[in-house]
Amino acid sequence: MTDLLALFVQQSVNGVYLGCLYVMVALGLTLIYGVLNQINFAHADFVTVGAFAALFTATRFATKVLGLPDTGAYLLSMVAALGTGALLGLAVNAAVFAPLRERGDELRPLIATIGVSVIIENGQLWLFGPIPYQFDSPFSRETIRVGRIFFSMQSALVVAVSAAAIAALYAFMKFTFLGKALRAVAQDRETAGLMGINPNLLIAITIVIASALAGVAGALLGPVLVLTPFAGASVIVKAFAIVIIGGFGNMQGTIIAGLLVGIIEAFTVQYLGSGLIDLVVFVLLLVMLVVRPTGLIAERKEENV
Amino acid sequence: MRVRIVSVLIAILVVAALPWLLQTPYWRGILVLCAMNVLLALSLNLVLGYTGQLNLGQSAFFAIGAYVSTILIKSYGWSFWLAALVAVGGAGLLGLALAAFAVRLRGHYLAIASLGFAVITYQVLINWENVTQGVRGIYGILPPVRSTIGLFYLVAGIAVLVYVLMDNLVRSPIGETLRAIREDEVSAASLGINAAVWKAFAFGLGAAIAGLAGCFYPGFVGTLVPEAFNIVESFTMLAMVIVGGMGTMIGPVIGAIVLTFLPEVLRDFGEFRLMIYGLALTLVVLFMPGGIVQAWRALTGRR
Amino acid sequence: MKLALKTAVLAFALAALGAQAQERVIRIGVLMPISGPGSYFGVMGKEGIDLALEQLKGSVSGYRLQVQYEDSACSPLQATNTVKRVLEQLKPHIVIGEECSDASLAIAPILEQAKVVQLNAGSVTMKLTESGYKYVFRIFPNGEQQGLPLGRNAYTKLGARTAVLLYEKTNAGVDSADGFEKHFVAAGGKILARIDFGRDVNDFTAIATRIAALGKVDVLPTFGLEGQQVRLSQALAQARVVKGGGGNAVQMGSIWLPYGFDQKAGAAAEGYIRIVQFDPTEKRSIVQDFIKAFRAKYGADRVPTHINAHAYDTILLVAEAVRRGATDSESIRDRFSKFRDVEVTTGRISFGPNGQTTDLSVIHFIETQKDLTWKGLDW
Repeated sequence: MTDLLALFVQQSVNGVYLGCLYVMVALGLTLIYGVLNQINFAHADFVTVGAFAALFTATRFATKVLGLPDTGAYLLSMVAALGTGALLGLAVNAAVFAPLRERGDELRPLIATIGVSVIIENGQLWLFGPIPYQFDSPFSRETIRVGRIFFSMQSALVVAVSAAAIAALYAFMKFTFLGKALRAVAQDRETAGLMGINPNLLIAITIVIASALAGVAGALLGPVLVLTPFAGASVIVKAFAIVIIGGFGNMQGTIIAGLLVGIIEAFTVQYLGSGLIDLVVFVLLLVMLVVRPTGLIAERKEENV
Repeated sequence: MRVRIVSVLIAILVVAALPWLLQTPYWRGILVLCAMNVLLALSLNLVLGYTGQLNLGQSAFFAIGAYVSTILIKSYGWSFWLAALVAVGGAGLLGLALAAFAVRLRGHYLAIASLGFAVITYQVLINWENVTQGVRGIYGILPPVRSTIGLFYLVAGIAVLVYVLMDNLVRSPIGETLRAIREDEVSAASLGINAAVWKAFAFGLGAAIAGLAGCFYPGFVGTLVPEAFNIVESFTMLAMVIVGGMGTMIGPVIGAIVLTFLPEVLRDFGEFRLMIYGLALTLVVLFMPGGIVQAWRALTGRR
Repeated sequence: MKLALKTAVLAFALAALGAQAQERVIRIGVLMPISGPGSYFGVMGKEGIDLALEQLKGSVSGYRLQVQYEDSACSPLQATNTVKRVLEQLKPHIVIGEECSDASLAIAPILEQAKVVQLNAGSVTMKLTESGYKYVFRIFPNGEQQGLPLGRNAYTKLGARTAVLLYEKTNAGVDSADGFEKHFVAAGGKILARIDFGRDVNDFTAIATRIAALGKVDVLPTFGLEGQQVRLSQALAQARVVKGGGGNAVQMGSIWLPYGFDQKAGAAAEGYIRIVQFDPTEKRSIVQDFIKAFRAKYGADRVPTHINAHAYDTILLVAEAVRRGATDSESIRDRFSKFRDVEVTTGRISFGPNGQTTDLSVIHFIETQKDLTWKGLDW
């Protein structure tokens, strides 16, 4: 393998992994937007809470109290993170989204979730302090090497779990009754209601699923991120960009957009400099919005006319 | 008409009296900040409240006003007012550029495009080091008026002027045009309204006013760093408009005042300050959807 | 009757004198970032200051130490607001602050005009002590003072000829990187690349890959906070760039990295060479006593960082000035400027004519061993 080819492949691998990282955060956002038409600005903070929940479950509870081996402890911590995320989602839905739903407002829930984000970040700051926490999973210190290409086992796990999550969600939406009902609510809430589906219940379920996803993302990303109460803030804006580049509410688009952003980021670092990442990604965003405002994969909604 | 003139006069009197009610340099400084925030909230309200365009990128124009004026003054020796004029013009032009997106996009799409706009502006300020000094910052910036009281009167005076002019604007046929676009763009088009032109107008004017506020910011702080214009500022402006009452004239003013003083007043709460701020913000948005203005009207109306 | 009256008058007089004696206060304003991402510095700074005050039982030489904390959030705007607030509410004799360079520079002219001493224990920027301020004193080594030993020794002692600079995109990061570059290049070295990163970067594999493709790199001077540095070191090791991963490049760092970093970074930290100012393994009794007291107050599993130590030292210095007769801002300034070899946990303090600490004898080089312990280098 020549040097240049190796470099190209390695950065591509880095990009795919980065992309999966963003996709894991963005997937829940897309889900919520698809069904509710709302942006949950606190979503990335759910990821951070999930990470902390996972950390404390793995290090304090699972190993010390239950005496589980490391891998078992980590798996348990993922479950804990999932549960924590679900609970948070339930709480925010009940407190913020449900009460504001009737107005069909686009802005007020956004501001309310900004307020929630501030509360969560500062609450964590008060509880956990600002010093970054060390979250080691059984996989985060191992490196996999294939020829001249390397990646950490944790990043492989991130890619694997995100792929599994996507596949599971896709199957759920397409083949189960609940999934079909959700898609019906996403397309036309009123008509769905007339057909005997309880939209409010389904929306609540969607938010819980999305937030649970965020929690699991936290468990996966905890060993990778710099784990402070502000970890969410470092990824939320890029996650938004991905949701839009992919097409609001469109899952396949989100995935493609996420991978695209990750690869662009890796190559921007290589040839331009990491200080320019945000610039390149958002210029791409604006270009997308001009050229193809409905996103990479045109959605059926014709809201933009 | 007479009521309006009297209210404006009362407002001017109150503004004039404020630095004598709050006499210390710290509180007078907060008053200056408040006046700037009033300008910013008014500028955003024009685009968001009256024209119905979801603009999350107002911090970009604030930043352009601050940086263009400061660079002209510090690197090229221009006088403050000349530099401010160019800075305001620059911000306005940038606003027109954003309007180009607004013509094609609605709702959340426009919201994110404007957010992207703000992020790009912020990143350019950080990376174009030859011109802006980037993260190193620019220091030793002097305000156009040395005394804090003087600076307050200047900025507050401009804010009152902008308020009066904007009030007239929204009551005029132009205001009706903007509101028509806000309510239903398709119907407005059928009435012969060229939405593109009027959106450009709203964005450009809103951006220019934000840029004007930006001209006073560096002199007030004395130091200019790009971090002051990250996208959180856009959200703060948005909160001011919504908490005060979107789509009214007095709403943004109230929102700016409340959200400027609230974090300062909460300083005695130490580490809980921001948590309480977030809680207050969330509760107001949840329970007072029309903002403080609507709550006030409901209260006084029900008597 | 006359006796009773006299006694009463005497009693009143004594009470009045006693009350006057209780008026002897030294007022200290403290500007720290307690909220936002900058709280990394502020929370630790407050710990150090609180410990020192507790040990002094809140008074020195009969003077009560009155402290008011303000949250300046690492931002020039908030720093400017809070310094005005503290100036009028407390009328301090001295203000300790800030941590972030931007904020420290923002308050310097205000404190200068108010003729209040500013004691800085956290900022790297050269501008703070090179702008002619007479009331600014800093015990933190600036960009030049850190860059010179790093840059020069990289060339002379380590034999490095090529370097890639890695630094966080802040005022402090840029100044530190400039300091290294200046002295490395002056000695004859070559900078292959300058790579900066924002504080929100979590993953460094792309950067590590880029460095791996640059050819022969001898040293990697890195300037950033511990959270990002852990990830950076691990990525560099993965990419087989640094010694800890089987490569050849040596990472070099500044005093920012706390004790305990090596354990967090793991094997990747092997071969890391850096300068430390606060070294918990130092034998000086003032250091060991500080660590003991710190653990007693904040938990036995904690090792204080240099941020804790520097903040702790600021109170020690104020106390020393008061012991030498300082009662207000002018006299504090006077005593500070006359300080020679005043011992604190981070070394010995002698302020130069521009207010910068000049004695760097405590700063020494250490190299991380395979078992992650420190070995002192006598450079």
